[in-house]
This record gives sequence, structure tokens and C-alpha cells, in this order.
Amino acid sequence: MSKKEIISIESISKIYQLGDNVVKALDNVSLKIFENDFISIMGPSGSGKSTLMNIIGCLDVPSKGTYKLDNIEIDKMTDSDLAKIRNQKIGFVFQTFNLLPKLNAVQNVEVPLIYSSLSKSERISKAKNALNSVGLGNRLDHKPNELSGGQRQRVAIARALVNSPSIILADEPTGNLDSKSGLEILKFFDELHQAGNTIIVVTHEDSVAKRAKRKVEIFDGKISKDE
Amino acid sequence: MEKFLKMSNIFQNIAIGLRAIKSNPTRVFLTSLGLTIGIFTVSIITAGVSSIDKEFEKSMAYYGNDKLYVSTWPWSFNFDWWKYRNRPRIEEDNLQYITQYSEYIDDVSLRKTTWIRGSYGNTASWLQINGVYPSYQDMLSGTKIENGRFFSQNEWDLQRRVIIVGATVRDGFFDGQDPIGKTIRLGGVSFEVIGELKKQGMGMVPGGTLDNLVIMPSTTFKRILTRWGFDELVLKTKPEQMAIAKEEAEMIMRVARKLKPDEENNFAVNSADAYKEQFDSLKIAIAGVGFLVTGISLIVSAIGIMNVMFVSVKERTKEIGLRKAMGATSRNILVQFLSEAVTISIIGGLAGIILVKLLTLVLATFLPVSFDLLLIFYTFLVCVFIGITAGMIPARNAANLNPIDALRHE
Ligand SMILES: Nc1ncnc2c1ncn2[C@@H]1O[C@H](COP(=O)(O)OP(=O)(O)OP(=O)(O)O)[C@@H](O)[C@H]1O
Ligand SMILES: [Mg+2]
Repeated sequence: MSKKEIISIESISKIYQLGDNVVKALDNVSLKIFENDFISIMGPSGSGKSTLMNIIGCLDVPSKGTYKLDNIEIDKMTDSDLAKIRNQKIGFVFQTFNLLPKLNAVQNVEVPLIYSSLSKSERISKAKNALNSVGLGNRLDHKPNELSGGQRQRVAIARALVNSPSIILADEPTGNLDSKSGLEILKFFDELHQAGNTIIVVTHEDSVAKRAKRKVEIFDGKISKDE
Repeated sequence: MEKFLKMSNIFQNIAIGLRAIKSNPTRVFLTSLGLTIGIFTVSIITAGVSSIDKEFEKSMAYYGNDKLYVSTWPWSFNFDWWKYRNRPRIEEDNLQYITQYSEYIDDVSLRKTTWIRGSYGNTASWLQINGVYPSYQDMLSGTKIENGRFFSQNEWDLQRRVIIVGATVRDGFFDGQDPIGKTIRLGGVSFEVIGELKKQGMGMVPGGTLDNLVIMPSTTFKRILTRWGFDELVLKTKPEQMAIAKEEAEMIMRVARKLKPDEENNFAVNSADAYKEQFDSLKIAIAGVGFLVTGISLIVSAIGIMNVMFVSVKERTKEIGLRKAMGATSRNILVQFLSEAVTISIIGGLAGIILVKLLTLVLATFLPVSFDLLLIFYTFLVCVFIGITAGMIPARNAANLNPIDALRHE
């Protein structure tokens, strides 16, 4: 079965220049990602994992090289095109959850929907459904500080899913969780993968990487292993 | 653009703005104080200017837009009274020259003026007395005979003690009763009231009220009140001929006075426009001060809003990064923060309107403050403008944030 190629990275570099000090966060990296891949990215701290994720997620642009998403060159896109891609095609999950502290669970999950053209009632029902699907149907009105770490990350996952994106990007999603909560979160990634989503997870933990179908390792801004 | 203006987005942004305000009430309050002062000043100024206008209209009517007054002194002078000190009095004889030579003057009358205490029974009051010709009946301006009649040529010839009275006489002396046929005393002499003038109200004239007027034949005036008062010649023309009639009157007067070409006028031809200039400069002065105060307070509040917005952007850097990661465009972020600035500004404006409303309730009796829907409308416009102006730089800073840096911000 030949799978559709959705991400194509060709010899990209990300270079930071701090005074005389040149940091190559990514150094001539090439990577192809196919539909319904489940990829883990591992590597020591500072090796460039987050940088790669940010580029894949259209939050950042490479200094060199080309990046195509769904066969469209990102370089050629305007700011609002990129925003639309982030909104429609990509769901982010962060290590530190990044929930808005003054909003309750439903309102937090609603955030991506605000930037797609939906009515208020559609937004709320979609947000509630997403929270139900991560098992938080009974925590709709809770603010982040009224939720456990695992629950917070589940709200964040609901938020990443709510616009039904095809790609889920998770940068150390279990890094701030105990192992039991971490397992719960990973269960959702398995389910999403089975449902046909493409999943890319940055992690330090072998137990997380073990679930991925494809393991990429990064060292000093270069891909050292891809299997 | 259509998406930019979508109603639900606007409400969403206002909701976000309101939340930001809730977390910062003191700062918002201080900011809105500037707007309050601004709105209050504007409303007082507008009301003040419009009431000056109203008074002015009445005074114009009182002096008439078709009348020239040949007097010893100009109505408006710049404190150089010494220049006018030795001018001769206006002589009744000069009228002959005017009637004889003038082309543009349709009617003339002498007008002698003095102030005297009038009394009826136990009540007494200061009254302005005019001694005039019978022709003055057609030269009344801003008022007319409402009750009774003017004096006749015969009464003038015979120096009869008959008077036409302004509206204050009825209320002051006769408790609102009809004064016709009654007798009041002026300087110890009795006069019969034969006519009554229509009420004019307050005006910007010496004495304030336009209604404490008593008119009598100038012959009677001369016979009984001879030692007091000053004389003027009242000339009637047509409104569109005012300028030329004025020039003509000046020329004839120079001839009557036998002035040499290099001599200055030793009389003045006055008309209501002299007052207009004074009123206009008063209006400009009031409006100028008002707009200065308003301008300063609006600038202060704009700076306040800008400051609140800078803080708000700083505090919510991470939120901005997150919203961008979730699909917000730079424009979405810009609109979000502009809406917040406008919301703060409008809340300040509302506070201002409420305060002005309260103050008008309290002050209405002795300050000419008016309060209307137009004010609310303009306030709204000004607030939107100030909100957008003051919010623009912070909102653009927010919109231009790089999402990754913003997300990493603690
Ligand atoms: N904005 C920046 N300016 C300068 N250098 C940067 C910047 N962002 C990242 N770097 C550098 O790029 C390199 C890669 O950073 P990155 O965040 O991708 O590492 P990482 O693999 O995610 O590490 P960790 O596991 O600790 O999260 C690091 O050396 C970092 O110092
Ligand atoms: Mg990282």
C-alpha cells in the first residue's frame, strides 16, 4: 500500500546567529512523512527537536531548504495562509499544556474554533464533544487550576483535536506528567493513530517512543537514525 | 474583510476585552477619568456657546438688524475712553440734516435714555426710560405693542405724561394685572400707562432684562426729566442697506458737525453688528479654552489607554503565541487588542456620560448644561477614535509577535 506523502522536508537548516556565535539548531535535515505515520522524535536536549517541530507546525520558517506540506511550499505562503494551516491541519500539544488560565475547559477548547468561521453555538457543541471524547465531559466548567496535570493535558488534547486536524504535533506531551497520567495521554494518541491521523511526538521516554511505528533520532541538528 | 467584520468575532473580541478590563479596574478607571473630564467640558462648552447664541439672537433683535444708532460713543471701545471724553452730545438738530439729505434712511427718531426709579403704591423699581418721537412706534425692534397703544403726534406735541411700558412693569407693579389706564410715578411725577410691550426676556444688554423699559414722548422727557440721560438718533433703514446707510449717516453727520477732512469723527454710528463681533470673540475664547481642556484630557486618557494596552500585551504575550499557534492571524490579534482598547475607551466614555448626566441634574438650575443624544453619539465616535489611536501601537506590537518567542515567554 503506497501512502500519501504529506510532509516533505528537504535539506533544511535553522541557523541562529547570536553575536559571533552561530548555532545550527537544524543542519541540513531531510525528512518525509506519510499520511497516518506515528513518529517519535528523540534526542538529547538542545539537539533541535522542538525547532523541527515548530517548522513542521508552520510556527517557524527554516533558514535554508524547502518544506512542503500537502505538496504546497510553505515558503510561498502568506501569514494568514499559514495561520489557516495551523488552524485547520495541525493540532499542537505542548509539554506545559499552555491553557489560558482565566478560561474554563470549554472556552479553552473553543480557542481554535474562534479562528474558523463557526457560530457560537456550533463552537460550544464541538468543544463539548471534544472534551467528552477525552473523558472530561464532567469537567466542562473547570478552570485549568481546578484540574490535575493529566486532566489539563487532556483539555489540551481536546483543543488540538477540536478542528479535526490531520496532523497532531506533540512536544514532550508527557514530560510534566506522572507515568499513570502519561499512559492515559498515550492511549489517546493510539486511538488517534487508529482513526487515521498523522502523529509526531517528541519525547525523552522510551516507553513513549515504543508506541510509535517509526522512530527518528536527532543529534546536534542532524537526523542520526530513522527506522 | 467580511470575516474581519463578522459580528460574532466582534462580540468575542469585546468579551476578551471586558475580561482584560475586569482584571485591571483601577487602571481603567483612571484612564476613563480623562474621558469623563473631556466629555463634561465639551458638553458645558457646547451648552454655553449655544446659550450665548440664544442671548445674542435676542439682543440682536432688541437692537434690530435694520437700525443705526448715532451716539456720542461707540458701543464697543477699547478702554481708551479719554479719546471720547470731550465729545459733544448728540443734538436733535442733526436729525434735520439726515432726513433732508439721506437716501437710505427711511425713518428717524430721537431717543433720549435715562434710568429712574419708578413706583406704584409701595413698590418701586429701576426702569429704563426712553424719550422718543411718535415715529418710534414703527421702529420698535424685538418687541411690539401688545396691549393698548403708542402715543400720538398730538400727545407728543402737547408733552403729555403718557407711557408705554415693558413686561416687567405688569409683573413688578401690578401683580400680572392689566396696567393700561393705571398711573405710575417716575421721579415723583405721575404718568398714565397707555400701552404695553411684548415680553422679550433676558438679553446681553446693560441691565440684563429687555423688559424694564418705559417709552414716553421725547417732549415730555425733556420737560420733566431734562437733567438726566443721553441722546441718540435712531435711524431706520433696510437690512440689506445697513453698510451703505451707515456710511451715508456718517457723512451727513460730519457735514452737520462741520468737521474738516482731517478731523476724526466726534460721534459714532453704531449697529448691532458691533455686538456681534464682541459676542463672536467671546464665543471663540470660550470655545478655545474648552477645546484646549478637552484636548488635553483626551490626550491624557489616550496615553493612559496606550499604557494599559502595553501592559496588557506584555502580560499576555504567551496567550498571543498560543492563539497564533491555534490559527489566529496577525490581523485577528490586532483586532482583538484594538477592540480591547476601544472597549476600555467606551467604558470610560460611558462613565463620563453618566457623570455628566448626574452633574446636569445637580447643576441645571444655575449652569447652562444641556444633555442630549447627540452628545452620546459624538462621545461614542470620539471613544472609538481614541481607542483605535491609542491601541494601535500596542496592538501592532502584539500582532507582530513571533509565535515561538511569544510561547516561550514566561
Ligand atoms: N530563539 C533562539 N535563539 C537562539 N538559539 C536558539 C533559539 N531557539 C533555539 N535555539 C537553539 O537551538 C538549539 C535547538 O533547540 P531546541 O529547542 O530545538 O532543542 P530541543 O531538542 O527541543 O531541546 P529540549 O529537549 O531541551 O527541548 C539549542 O541549542 C538552542 O539553544
Ligand atoms: Mg524542546
